[in-house]
Amino acid sequence: MADSKHIVLRHLDIGKPIIKLKDYEKRAGGYDGFKKAVKMEKSAVIDEVKASGLRGRGGAGFPAGVKWSFIPQNEPIKYVTVNADESETGTFKDRLIMEQNPHQLIEGALTCAYAIGAKAVYIYLRGEFWDVAHMLDERIEEARKAGYIGENILGSGFSCEVYTHLGAGAYICGEESALLNSLEGKLGQPRVRPPFPAQKGGGLYGEATVVNNVETLANVPWIMVNGADEYKKIGTEQSAGTKLYCVSGNIQKPGVYELPFDTTFRELLETVCGGPPEGRSFKALLPSGGSGPIVPLTDEVLDTRMSYEDCAAIDTIIGSASLIVMDDSVNIAWVASKVIKFFAHESCGKCTPCREGTYWLDKVLDRIMAGQATAKDIERIDDVAKNMAGITLCALGDFAANPIIHTIKHFKEDFLAMAEGKELAQAGD
Amino acid sequence: MAVIGNKKYSKQIEHHFSKYPDKRSAVMPLLYIAQEEYGWVNDDGIQEVAELCELDPTHVKSIAGFYTMYSEKSKGKYWLQVCTDLSCALRGADEFHKDLKAYLEVEEGGTTDDDLFTVEHVMCLAACDNAPMLQCNFHYMENLDMEKMKAWVEEKRAELQKELDA
Amino acid sequence: MVTPVKEDTELVTINIDGKDYQVPKGGNLVDMAKWVAGNDIPVFCYHPKMDPVGMCRMCLIELGGVARDRATGDIQYNDDGTPQIRWFPKLQTACTQTVNDGMYIKTNTEQVKEGRESVIEFLLTSHPLDCPICDKGGECPLQNLTMAHGNGVSRMYFDDKMHLNKHYPLGDLIYLDRERCIQCARCIRFQDEIVGDDVLAFHERGRRLQIITNSDPGFDTYFSGNTTDICPVGALTTGDFRFGARPWELTEVPSISPWDAAGENISLSTRLDRDFGGKAMIKRVMPRQNEYVNEIWISDKTRFGHHFTRSDNRLSKIQIRKGSNFSESTWDSTFKAVAKTLKEANGSVAAIAGGSATNEDLYELAQLVTGLGGDKLGAWSPTHTGADLVAQVGLPEGSNLGELGAGDAILVIASDLEEEVPMWRLRLKTAQDRGAYLVVANGRNTRLEELATEDPNIKGRVVDGAAIRYEAGSAAAVMANLKKSNKDIAKKLADANHLVIVAGAEGLTLEGHRALVQSAANFLIDSGHAGKVNSGLLVPLPGANGMGLHYMGFSPETTQDIAANPPKVLIVLNAEILDDDPTAKTWLSQVDTVITLGYFMDAIARESKFVLPVQTFAERDGSFTNGERRVQRFYTAQGPMGDAIPAWKAVGNIAQAADLGRAKLSAAAVMVAIAKNVAAFEGITYKVLARTERQFPDVGGDDKYYGGNAYQNTGGIGKQIALSGTAKSEKVTVPDALKAGKGEIVLLPTTRLYDRSHMFIPTVMVRSRVSLPFVHLNPKDAKALKLADGDYAEVNYDGGSVRVRAVVSDDVSVGAAVFPRKLTEKATPLVPTVGTITKVTEPAQIEG
Repeated sequence: MADSKHIVLRHLDIGKPIIKLKDYEKRAGGYDGFKKAVKMEKSAVIDEVKASGLRGRGGAGFPAGVKWSFIPQNEPIKYVTVNADESETGTFKDRLIMEQNPHQLIEGALTCAYAIGAKAVYIYLRGEFWDVAHMLDERIEEARKAGYIGENILGSGFSCEVYTHLGAGAYICGEESALLNSLEGKLGQPRVRPPFPAQKGGGLYGEATVVNNVETLANVPWIMVNGADEYKKIGTEQSAGTKLYCVSGNIQKPGVYELPFDTTFRELLETVCGGPPEGRSFKALLPSGGSGPIVPLTDEVLDTRMSYEDCAAIDTIIGSASLIVMDDSVNIAWVASKVIKFFAHESCGKCTPCREGTYWLDKVLDRIMAGQATAKDIERIDDVAKNMAGITLCALGDFAANPIIHTIKHFKEDFLAMAEGKELAQAGD
Repeated sequence: MAVIGNKKYSKQIEHHFSKYPDKRSAVMPLLYIAQEEYGWVNDDGIQEVAELCELDPTHVKSIAGFYTMYSEKSKGKYWLQVCTDLSCALRGADEFHKDLKAYLEVEEGGTTDDDLFTVEHVMCLAACDNAPMLQCNFHYMENLDMEKMKAWVEEKRAELQKELDA
Repeated sequence: MVTPVKEDTELVTINIDGKDYQVPKGGNLVDMAKWVAGNDIPVFCYHPKMDPVGMCRMCLIELGGVARDRATGDIQYNDDGTPQIRWFPKLQTACTQTVNDGMYIKTNTEQVKEGRESVIEFLLTSHPLDCPICDKGGECPLQNLTMAHGNGVSRMYFDDKMHLNKHYPLGDLIYLDRERCIQCARCIRFQDEIVGDDVLAFHERGRRLQIITNSDPGFDTYFSGNTTDICPVGALTTGDFRFGARPWELTEVPSISPWDAAGENISLSTRLDRDFGGKAMIKRVMPRQNEYVNEIWISDKTRFGHHFTRSDNRLSKIQIRKGSNFSESTWDSTFKAVAKTLKEANGSVAAIAGGSATNEDLYELAQLVTGLGGDKLGAWSPTHTGADLVAQVGLPEGSNLGELGAGDAILVIASDLEEEVPMWRLRLKTAQDRGAYLVVANGRNTRLEELATEDPNIKGRVVDGAAIRYEAGSAAAVMANLKKSNKDIAKKLADANHLVIVAGAEGLTLEGHRALVQSAANFLIDSGHAGKVNSGLLVPLPGANGMGLHYMGFSPETTQDIAANPPKVLIVLNAEILDDDPTAKTWLSQVDTVITLGYFMDAIARESKFVLPVQTFAERDGSFTNGERRVQRFYTAQGPMGDAIPAWKAVGNIAQAADLGRAKLSAAAVMVAIAKNVAAFEGITYKVLARTERQFPDVGGDDKYYGGNAYQNTGGIGKQIALSGTAKSEKVTVPDALKAGKGEIVLLPTTRLYDRSHMFIPTVMVRSRVSLPFVHLNPKDAKALKLADGDYAEVNYDGGSVRVRAVVSDDVSVGAAVFPRKLTEKATPLVPTVGTITKVTEPAQIEG
């Protein structure tokens, strides 16, 4: 991996946060990638990112360069929107990037803006990142003073502004079209697609827009400096580069770890994070926060590489790589109940199955947790979740169905134990 | 009228309007300002934001209602939102939340009699490795336990008492 | 015919359930499947009049397309030679699909059935299932689609249902039941997209998502009632109808709005009712689809204004003056007595009729007057003229305001269209949305002004864009000189594919309005738009039958003539002359005998020798000719009021008693005579007027999801009269604007939709929304009069005075005071006049 261990969390190589522009420039080769990019043809920048195999880190894993190439070059107004709404249960990586290495995000976003010819970058942060946003504003100001933002940047003729925008507490705004609505001052509800954000009529203020996750864009400077070929050497064939893995739950050392995609769950959870709490053993894992399918932490799973393709092979997803670990003290029905509460709270209410389904599932799970349910109720919620999946306006409906369908699939006995009131509704203790 | 449009906030408001090609986009930042001014998003605030953003007040109210960080009820001086989502709960956040409410003698969403603290639970705040944690008026307090919390609460109570004495 | 397929429409082939259909490219899949295949894809949130949102998920289908090779684009074939179809793995919503060539859909597979069943189940989990007490029960899409697609069993624990407010008033007229609401947002979108007044929105999210208004006043637009029609559940109900009757008890009777020149097609839902002596009674007014006229919308005035038909103040007995008292009489003796009086006048007989008289009434009245040797037929009110020009350069046969869009232009001058003809304002607004260039010219700010097309190239006016704010009273001059004084705008209008000019009479005398309308006609003729389909002149003539007055020979200029040379005997039909015009008593005192036919014992009736009660549109058959010259018939819906009979019948019998021929036996028979004797009506019979056709979008049929059944047009779409004559561009002399002397000010009467007229005031539920009387002044004029906003003022004018509130703002131009008509029961100026305004301090009482 070139001369450092990290692509995104570069501050870890240096040993302290890289906040100030001058530190970023001096100690981390800051803005070298961007300087290189603005001397290149725009299409060459896109080609380079395409060739790197960089995939979106927000969860869906869509190739970033391909997304950029969808933007019609001849449109007079285009935008870049940075998805910093980080709201998936168990995800806390983007906050770390913005707090510890903020300029790398700004540089990546500017590179994208240059490549597609955007007139402005909006960084949409979840409202809870109040302090992060205000800190980021200072970094943007620094970059503006240094000539990386504004008119005729670095004499390239390219002009671009960068702004932050704070959300106000809505998970759904992490969905790109809901994010755009929210940025426009509307309800953060997903839009009907097509048109897609990259198309005229589908993006911000109706203009073609790239929406990329913080981590995705933070990878770009490294790619511009070291080249796509170097990047592709890291990770697996279909999952190039490193990933920021967020580990939380019943684990010795929770935290964010940047590792190549070919790392196995075992390496991360046992070697890096020190395994389960003292006297406990691993029971289950949510590899992609609340929204991805749960898996029992078997040896087979532990020896799986944490890449897009390897996780698909074990019937789950790596998604945003938010690993929530459950040890053997946890009843998985309780996990399902926690997660469905999250989705019932965060459903935007726009489409029927998600609005009604999450509410319904939550109500039945409350009954199960109170020991006031039967085996029939478990079958019922399994069926309701399956009915909800696949017919909603956005992916949230599927996300909300997953925890039910997969927890019941793997841990039905936990539900039965709860339903018949054999176990206390409190877990984790 | 125009409390939030006055000098105290005019620079901020101007800045937000300068960011977007459409005034409507400033509705969220301006609602934060209204909330800062009034302590919560009341009807006056909604009316003022509507006029500034050239929107029907219905839509401003709609925005205020959709997002959980705008409070449509008055709150204590310290609005404590405890994350009790899965990751935090696996590390004792439910217990912490319960104990905090008991210590402050409030129900979920309630405010202490001295109007100092409002406690409620929220969904994931993206600080899962530092559980239990909460946000107090949008600033994070992490790696908490009840001992730390009690000390902090008493400190704030003492501050209030000092103010009242003075 | 209103169809999605026009001559130049490109057709594409789509396959529905294995069968190919040719459909217009770019159409909406739900609409097209229904139109060409009769395939009822169920919907809740989708509505063909609004943009799709894909929210309810009811319209799930399997969607596929012909597979093409990625590299070459060639169609890929199966071994048997049929094209390969690539199907989406998941179900898709039909409402968000635009048809394109090679689209394949399946609507009847197991997967589709399961998907729809799931959506119904989800919708019902939170629904209160209170159909037995719900106003929508019996014509409810949710009920219907549950029967068709639901599984019939509820798996949700009843205790788990969310309980919400069931009686939330969104305004004075509309109530929301939050438990029944299924969050389809049709009401929100209607207000936003169709009305352009987005006062409804969602609040909260998830299962707590609910409709709110936070506007002040609340939900009170002039079109609010339409939301209750398009609401696919019983969540929105009107204060007028809620708990009033069950839909299956109602008999739908096709009718026409009696209020204005739009001629909105309506359906009167009637029931034999205890509250009306067991007679048929209007329980509600619903829109009836006529895509040429009102599409599927009606104004709230039309919907809620029916109460006057059963008002306690309705004239139900014949009143004959004996000295200073009135006594009742019978029809037979009255016919004879009136005939005698008329004959004794020796031809010095004239008539003045108002805009709520029907074509049949007017024809018979004209026959009577001319039969008696009279020749003066006056139209009331003499505020608007130009019907003769509308007959020549109006919108030609086959026109439809709903077709105006990109490349077309509209000029609205001297009219507050929202207050005068709300439906035109609605349709022109949507035309603007489709890209029409909308110019609004007035001496004051009107609701329409903000809808004027934004045009950065047009500057230097009070407001940006295609809005002209002219000096008070100068509308005619502005129109006559448009090409000079507003060159850019005039050019855009002249160059438009289609051009519609709406020429109102606000701020104008009758002569001034004549000059304006002629100038507008000149513009249309000079630009080559005259006689072109979807181009032409509209005048917001007062009443429902302003054009009918013209065709039957009545004119406002004759009314002026009658006032100048009063006859011995004057017949007044549906014209509240004394209530409307404070100066009329001067000339009326010179008339020996007044014979009044009307609905109320109004001021002119009280001055009459004979007062004859006649029936309203609700109780009889008849027809109106709307402002677009569409003759439309209405049918007897409600039981009679006392002894009232149709005016045509009263007049016909008087004529018979005066030996002028036999009275006709039916309204239809009168129409036969009209068709024979009035050239413009040639070929028109009640049968022709009753003709219906399939209309696009197809919302009036017997599907289970567009709500109710009153949209369906079974009464006829009417017949538009062809243009006649060959109008030429004529030189216009613009009369001088009124000038006020020292201490005086010009008073400019305007029209308000909700007023204190005899016909409207019985609608109690809207009374709180009738403005208190006011006079609106520019700050400059107010300063000269020492008046501040909110002050009480006495307005003095020829024939009276009234105390009102002063409103001061620069929304009105300098030099005149805007003084709305009929906001008090006193007569206030009908036409622009010079008066005085003085501040009053004690007592601070205004007359409402």
